[in-house]
Amino acid sequence: MNESILPPPVASAPPVCALNPNDPGSDPAERAPIRGPLAAVAAILRQPRRVMHQLHQPSSGNLALVLLLIVAGCSLVYGGVVGTFSGGAQIWVAALKTMLVLLASALICLPSLYVFACLSGADVRLGELTGLLAGELALVAVLLIGFAPVAWVFGRSTESVAAMGALHLVFGLVATGFGLRFLASAFRNLNARSKGGLRLWMVIWVTVMLQMTTALRPIVSPAAGTFLPETKQFFLQHWIECLK
Amino acid sequence: MNAGLAPYDLRQVPALLRGEWQMINAWIAEWSLPRAVFHVVTIVIGAGLFGAAVGGWRAPLQAAYTAAKLPLIILLTVLGNALLNGMFAPLLGLNLRFRQSLLAILLSFTTAAVILGAFSPLMWFLVWNAPPLAADEAACSTAYRFIQITQAAVIAVAGIVANLRLVQLLRQLSGSAAAARRVLFAWLAGNLLLGSQLAWILRPFIGSPNLPLEFLRPNAFEGNFYETLFRAFKQLFAG
Repeated sequence: MNESILPPPVASAPPVCALNPNDPGSDPAERAPIRGPLAAVAAILRQPRRVMHQLHQPSSGNLALVLLLIVAGCSLVYGGVVGTFSGGAQIWVAALKTMLVLLASALICLPSLYVFACLSGADVRLGELTGLLAGELALVAVLLIGFAPVAWVFGRSTESVAAMGALHLVFGLVATGFGLRFLASAFRNLNARSKGGLRLWMVIWVTVMLQMTTALRPIVSPAAGTFLPETKQFFLQHWIECLK
Repeated sequence: MNAGLAPYDLRQVPALLRGEWQMINAWIAEWSLPRAVFHVVTIVIGAGLFGAAVGGWRAPLQAAYTAAKLPLIILLTVLGNALLNGMFAPLLGLNLRFRQSLLAILLSFTTAAVILGAFSPLMWFLVWNAPPLAADEAACSTAYRFIQITQAAVIAVAGIVANLRLVQLLRQLSGSAAAARRVLFAWLAGNLLLGSQLAWILRPFIGSPNLPLEFLRPNAFEGNFYETLFRAFKQLFAG
């Protein structure tokens, strides 16, 4: 009898808690779901706040998975282009190693990112942060695809491993810069009180990625028989040796 | 809302890192053995993972030894200084009961252990990239020193962050920044004194390349950390 005077249930409404106009999701366009890898690529490039908003929702697992698939796919393609410099088996070896550089670095650095996020007061779940890191990597990987034709052209016109290595390094750093900008922007929206932890983590992240390229060498030059190198080197030491 | 987290709820860890004072104050106000056990287990896991990564450079057995030793140092320091720290708090202007001061210190070490645990994959990666023990002497010695320095740096970061959180907690509990600082420095002094000596007794952690692999050095209980430090300075300045 009383049911007729009760207000309609609101539990089925999407969880929209963005009351601040600066928060992701305050624009209705940012609340539109992202379906499929192509939509995710478009969103990460054009509407990063939409990606952040979707990752903030409780059911963001699918989007994180799509972003990780983009990372895997794009890094395999870019790695393949890196491998064309040496040709032969190195095409798929470089593809696999490039993907490993990104994903293994993420796996190693995710726990420290979560701790730094919490220490800075950010209101974030581990799942959401995994998604944001996947978003950062997806942006890096998509940008690397953009650099791939340029890298391929240079690879056809030089025989210097050091020159090609330096070129890929520059492309990687530029892409990483944009990726980190995405992550920093996401941190701002997570109500982080300080940026010090994130800045320190960014230094760690870049160092780990650079070291990973050395730990998984050779990527640019032809394979020396084994998948992984037999000697351990710090990346700066390896670069100096390459330049000699 | 968060104050109602169960004693074994994993969400206590991010809440502690974020410094959610309302909830942390509630933990301190009401003693709960399961909650204290949860923090001890967190310390064992976090510091243990970091210890395993550090010791892994020398040998798997050293990894197991260091995984056991790091949490042991923390827990023995907490227990060994519990009485003294419990006395210092009211004397220096913070009216805490014995169990409350014990829990506050335990929470601070939990923060440090979680940070150490989060850095353990990075430490493992560094160790994996370092020249192994079988490499030539110069490379091996460089790797040993590099791991030593990195280990010290990570422990320093974890310690600084944990103590910053602790002084914030003490400020919340006392309502006075001066009292919080006094208590923190007294606790720090006591914990440093005992902790450094325990670390000295329980050495090695990485395992010097020139010495055999063992849980404790044969001379573990001979001399102390400060005596050795004093002798090192004396030798340095005596030429």
